[in-house]
Amino acid sequence: MSGGRGLMQWAVDPEVDRAVDAVPNRVNGLGYDPWGFNPQAAKLYFSIARHIYAYFRPEIVGIENLPPGRVLIVPNHSGQLPLDGLVIAVACLLHAQPPRLVRAMAERWFPTLPWVNIAFSRSGVVVGDPINCKNLLEADNAILVFPEGARGCGKTFQHRYQLEEFGRGFMRLALQTGTPIVPVGVVGAEESIISVANLRPLARLVGMPYAPVSPLLPLLGPLAYLPLPTRFHVHFGKPLVFDGPFDDEDTEIDRKVAVVKDAVAGLLRKGRAQRRGWFT
Amino acid sequence: MAATLVTGISGSLARRVADRLVERGDTVVGVDYRPPPAALDKRIRFFQANYNKTRIEDVFRHCTFDRVLHLGRVGNLKESMGKRFDLNVVGSQKILNLCLAGGVKRLVVFSTFHIYGAHPANHIPISEEDPLHAGTDFPQIADAIQLDNMASRWVYQHRGIRTVVLRPTNVIGPAIQNAIANLLRQPRIPHLMGYNPMVQFIHEDDMAAAILAAADGEQVGIFNVAGDGVMPWRTALRLVRASTFPIPAAAVELYLSIFSRFPHYLVNFFRYPCVITDRRFREAFHWAPRIPMEDMLWSTVEEARKRQGFT
Repeated sequence: MSGGRGLMQWAVDPEVDRAVDAVPNRVNGLGYDPWGFNPQAAKLYFSIARHIYAYFRPEIVGIENLPPGRVLIVPNHSGQLPLDGLVIAVACLLHAQPPRLVRAMAERWFPTLPWVNIAFSRSGVVVGDPINCKNLLEADNAILVFPEGARGCGKTFQHRYQLEEFGRGFMRLALQTGTPIVPVGVVGAEESIISVANLRPLARLVGMPYAPVSPLLPLLGPLAYLPLPTRFHVHFGKPLVFDGPFDDEDTEIDRKVAVVKDAVAGLLRKGRAQRRGWFT
Repeated sequence: MAATLVTGISGSLARRVADRLVERGDTVVGVDYRPPPAALDKRIRFFQANYNKTRIEDVFRHCTFDRVLHLGRVGNLKESMGKRFDLNVVGSQKILNLCLAGGVKRLVVFSTFHIYGAHPANHIPISEEDPLHAGTDFPQIADAIQLDNMASRWVYQHRGIRTVVLRPTNVIGPAIQNAIANLLRQPRIPHLMGYNPMVQFIHEDDMAAAILAAADGEQVGIFNVAGDGVMPWRTALRLVRASTFPIPAAAVELYLSIFSRFPHYLVNFFRYPCVITDRRFREAFHWAPRIPMEDMLWSTVEEARKRQGFT
């Protein structure tokens, strides 16, 4: 165990350490919450994540819009790997006042991925399930949810910055738990790992939600999937508060979802207008 | 005063419950398909009977019961699937019918959380109305699911018998001889490479207290019983001071068939979490676990570790 502790001291970023300590969390005597979140392990994983975050040199705008208490953070989803989620999570931990530990709602297949499932659970990621979400909102957590799901993450380059269909689940949960929604626009992830096609049969074969094809594949082989050092521009919008019955008809919910989707689209336009190139 | 029937009396948990009942002056009759346990309290009248055979009927002819604690679910995988079905499903059906005919007022049925299944999409925590997913992954658990379904139906079909179905998490403790407790007593315990799911335990003393609370209480229904212990599997292994080694998921079936008697169909519980909530049980029966997580695990293995020369 002492070896583990030595590694921790060496690897844990002091700012991450302070930020995680500042987050109120509900863990048991052994240091775990029921989902497997563990502050000590999270410090290590967030320290690693911070290096990835630094690689993208993100420009974070409007993070002060995050309200205290329960909140649903709703961004666009892009870039093949959930790097957008990672950047938002690190930004909320290190740049929000006070630090927020976002609980991300992930694809239902993440628990099947060896090692990844451990790193995700210890860092606070949970399976994207309404009951998980409701429990965590009622405990006043910040929840990161991508209503486009894998549709958004796996989309190809020609569809960049076009929002896929948003699910309704997040809106029903927001209404049910009285949670404000903070829309977020992430610019830059689209160009980080470029996919020009989705090999659906291959994806089905290996049990992935999609199988991206990089245009650089003939040139670089597997290295083509390394993310390019594009700069991320992350714009947090003003909190949106919705009113009404959570079990309303789909068309009513869709109207409210459209408001959030428009807000995200607006933030994307803003982010794209501000940047001068992929890498700046 | 009418008596309490405890099934599965040769098992250590049922025995513990029976002992506590006797200590406080209740009349207790114990039944099991296995021989009687060694040094059973003389005040406990013992019958050996298969739950699915006519002998069990005779038990109800000899005595009048106002309470039946049906703790004798056979989780023991040494028994074949056919025998487990006979004892757990056919036998439980018989016991339920005998309760109905015999005017039993209170029935507690001991089910298991295994029937929820350990599944990647499981939300946390799992409550009583969640689907019983286990059957899709391992049909060998069909008997446990059917026993639970039958007892759950009973809760609402026969209101005269106030029935409680308990779905406990892993029960461990010094006297417990189930698959998980025996696994924890091994000096070297494997884990699945790349997985470390959250697991729960409840100590036999807390479980016995929960069963007594259910027996004495008024509420009916289906209740999870969990205790406080939520931890990753490998943290549990550290607490029982076992050394551990990884097995690739692809090789686990092979490993189990050669080296271990641990039931194959529970392997997913070492891959995916199945974390249950017992909030409703605590509220309904004013029960709370008392044994801390560390003590719960260490007490289970202490004897074994001494034998293994562990200091």
